[in-house]
Amino acid sequence: MSEFLLEMKNISKSFSGVKALDGIHLQVRRGECVGLCGENGAGKSTLMKVLSAVYPYGTWEGEILWEGHELKASSIRETEKAGIAIIHQELMMVPHLSVAENIFLGSEISNHGFLDYDAMNARAQELLAKLNVHDINPALPVLNYSGGKQQLIEIAKALNKDAKLLILDEPTSALTATEIRTLLDLIKSLKAEGLACVYISHKLEEVAEISDTVTVIRDGTHIATRPIGELTTASIVTMMVGREMKNLYPKEEHAIGEVVLEAHNVSCWDVTNPDRKVVDDVSFKIRKGEILGIAGLVGAGRTELVSTLFGAYPGSHRGSVHLDGREITIRSPRDAVKAGICMVPEDRKRSGILPIIGVGHNMTISVLNRFAAFGLIDEHEELAQIQAEILRLKIKTADPMLPIASLSGGNQQKAVLSKMMLPDPRILILDEPTRGVDVGAKYEIYKLIFALAKAGVAVLMVSSELTEVLGISDRVLVIGEGRLRGDFVNDNLTQEHVLAAALGQSTQMA
Amino acid sequence: MANINLRKFLSENKIVALLIVVGLIWALFGYLTYNADTGVSGFLTARNFSNLLRQMAITGILAAAMVFVIVAGEIDLSVGSLLGLLGGIAAILDAVYGWPLAGTISFVLLAGAALGLMNGWLTAYLGIPSFIVTLGGQLAFRGAVLGLTGGITIAPVSPSLRYIGQGYLPGWLGNGCAVLLFLVLLVMAFRTRRKRLQHNLRVPTPVMEAVKLVVVGLFILGFVLVLNSYQGIPVPVLMLLFVLGIFTIIAKGTVFGRYIYAVGSNSEATRLSGVNVNLVKMVVFGLMGLMAALAGITTTARLAAGTPSAGFGGELDAIASCFIGGTSMRGGVGSVIGALVGALIMASLDNGMSMLGVDTFWQQIIKGIILVIAVYLDIISSGVKRL
Repeated sequence: MSEFLLEMKNISKSFSGVKALDGIHLQVRRGECVGLCGENGAGKSTLMKVLSAVYPYGTWEGEILWEGHELKASSIRETEKAGIAIIHQELMMVPHLSVAENIFLGSEISNHGFLDYDAMNARAQELLAKLNVHDINPALPVLNYSGGKQQLIEIAKALNKDAKLLILDEPTSALTATEIRTLLDLIKSLKAEGLACVYISHKLEEVAEISDTVTVIRDGTHIATRPIGELTTASIVTMMVGREMKNLYPKEEHAIGEVVLEAHNVSCWDVTNPDRKVVDDVSFKIRKGEILGIAGLVGAGRTELVSTLFGAYPGSHRGSVHLDGREITIRSPRDAVKAGICMVPEDRKRSGILPIIGVGHNMTISVLNRFAAFGLIDEHEELAQIQAEILRLKIKTADPMLPIASLSGGNQQKAVLSKMMLPDPRILILDEPTRGVDVGAKYEIYKLIFALAKAGVAVLMVSSELTEVLGISDRVLVIGEGRLRGDFVNDNLTQEHVLAAALGQSTQMA
Repeated sequence: MANINLRKFLSENKIVALLIVVGLIWALFGYLTYNADTGVSGFLTARNFSNLLRQMAITGILAAAMVFVIVAGEIDLSVGSLLGLLGGIAAILDAVYGWPLAGTISFVLLAGAALGLMNGWLTAYLGIPSFIVTLGGQLAFRGAVLGLTGGITIAPVSPSLRYIGQGYLPGWLGNGCAVLLFLVLLVMAFRTRRKRLQHNLRVPTPVMEAVKLVVVGLFILGFVLVLNSYQGIPVPVLMLLFVLGIFTIIAKGTVFGRYIYAVGSNSEATRLSGVNVNLVKMVVFGLMGLMAALAGITTTARLAAGTPSAGFGGELDAIASCFIGGTSMRGGVGSVIGALVGALIMASLDNGMSMLGVDTFWQQIIKGIILVIAVYLDIISSGVKRL
């Protein structure tokens, strides 16, 4: 028997000529937890897709040894059968089916073709008990449970399939602090029972806590694999980024002018649960040429707050918005764009891009009337504008008419930014502007943000990356559980300060 | 390698692939209807060609607007009944009340647009799925036409109305139209080329461009010569070509057209870009209603009577034409010309099989199978992989 449960050797994978993975190695022993670290777009997810045969054998180069034998799986079913279970960042649950039905999806316990609910519920209860979870009713629909509980249900599902290797891809990004604690403790106890795992996370403290070894990849290449004892979070970051952190933010001086926008007493209620307040009486001001960062934990109500300002929040909401001291009413994104407020939404795929439409046409959709006479578009003028934008934002595309979905995340994001910059907004709201964007494109996006501020645009940026918020904001608002928990000038402000405020531990600071 | 290139070419020029299918179907029927005694095949005559085009005109007019509805991510199941209702109204106004033609046409067009806008309003602003709204419309409009006509045929309609459905354009006018069309295409080709060059965009080589224009020119010439050798261009066919032109311009060159495709591609992202998505959808249904009115008038004119069953099943023919023509069920993709070639394929099958004396039930079975095969071919040729 081989020393390793899993050995991935020299894995390379290309997408239409672009190498996403270039000679990656990954080894996992029985009962070991390997932390896999890398920036967004470094290739972590691609590597896991190779391992779980989302990309079947033959579509990549290299060798995978599983328990000493070569694994040539052509479907996820085969890798699952071998004992590899992957838990994705976005949970793959069927919300209206019960907990037990979800756990047994694809491997139902049946009797002559009829589902044996009693057996499934009992077995589900057993599995959950093994995970030390006692407050989940297997017969209730999954949608009754929070993200943290659903994560545990996913793990129960993996255990039911006799998984020997558990891959967790950013498992804690949507969990509360207590849920994270439960999850980490659970992984430790599973490890003690001999289960191996690959833990992918940006939260290096978590990686440090539960991993035995850490593998760092960057831009699709293998950087290092070392025991956790030889590493610090700082040294991991350095390897991930490959350059000094301070170079990440091209800070530029910009003058800050008078107040442009004031939001007074904004409150929002949850869409599906209208009794729950998600934003509670938040007021703030933003000035001309100011970059205002909005920090807070996921689910704190930041996206709801900014989409309300943009007229895009679907639930009920209250509050008033003043532009240049005068109250304005914004009922739809259309009103907002007209008033000079633009927003780059959080979820690029769902609400940012028009996937099958050309990059160029994506960029001009908000300002088409500018090129039109009697509704007929002057393509000549439109193309001139598109090409100027492509040059200015350094968008890499072979042809401006190529569908935007065929571009990389960074280039897609630049095009979406361009779309919302073309209307010449006075206030630009950016909701997680660098999510899923590679380091190079990030840098260019930051440069754009500074250029906008210099030109007098008020930039309101929501970000979950504290380093980013601190790296580019002039002022930082901290939102916690829907409330404004802090309004800090970004001067000697530390991540600890912001995090403490977000958690509601201290609100005293200038 | 050649295989891959051919596939790529066909998936980028779907229309060529569709025309090849048309050619194959015509060749097949031409062969099957060949009469050794006379040396001609009944299918491939100018007279039959003229009939075939006239038969497809009504489905084609509906399909042109249906493309927009489907591209916007919606569906309209009510157009067959709406066509019946509006055709019935046209017959009653003309035959019973003796309205002047212009009055009848304007009223029916307005009524069609209004009913379409109503469908659109219910769908876009009240959020009722268009499948439900227009399924309800299918029943209600059919009921309305039965009530209005009392279930009997309204006849006879005036000769001027009949001309719309049965008339032919004089030969010289047909030729004039053809020359004009070719000149417009020529000028457009030159302008596009010049603009693309100004922006350093790829342009086809001058030879390719010239070949393309010559092919198009010969196509138009052949089209007009064949029709003129019978009785001229049928009026409904001229209307269809006119609709094709207008709808293609809307799709490719207008702000509204761009919005339709954007809404179908991702309606949420379009809304967040500041576009009034609801209005776009409502107007798309309005256009559908307008075309149902045009098709209704043409149907009444062609039959020279208003019948309560006119347009029965018309929505399905129109929808099938769109799908055969490469419109995507998921929205965002589709062309007007594709849908019209789709309609031509359906009409050719109808016409050819009737000529061969195939039983109606077989005709329906075969058409159903062809629809499914056509969409499958579209899926594999566009290289969409599904796991």
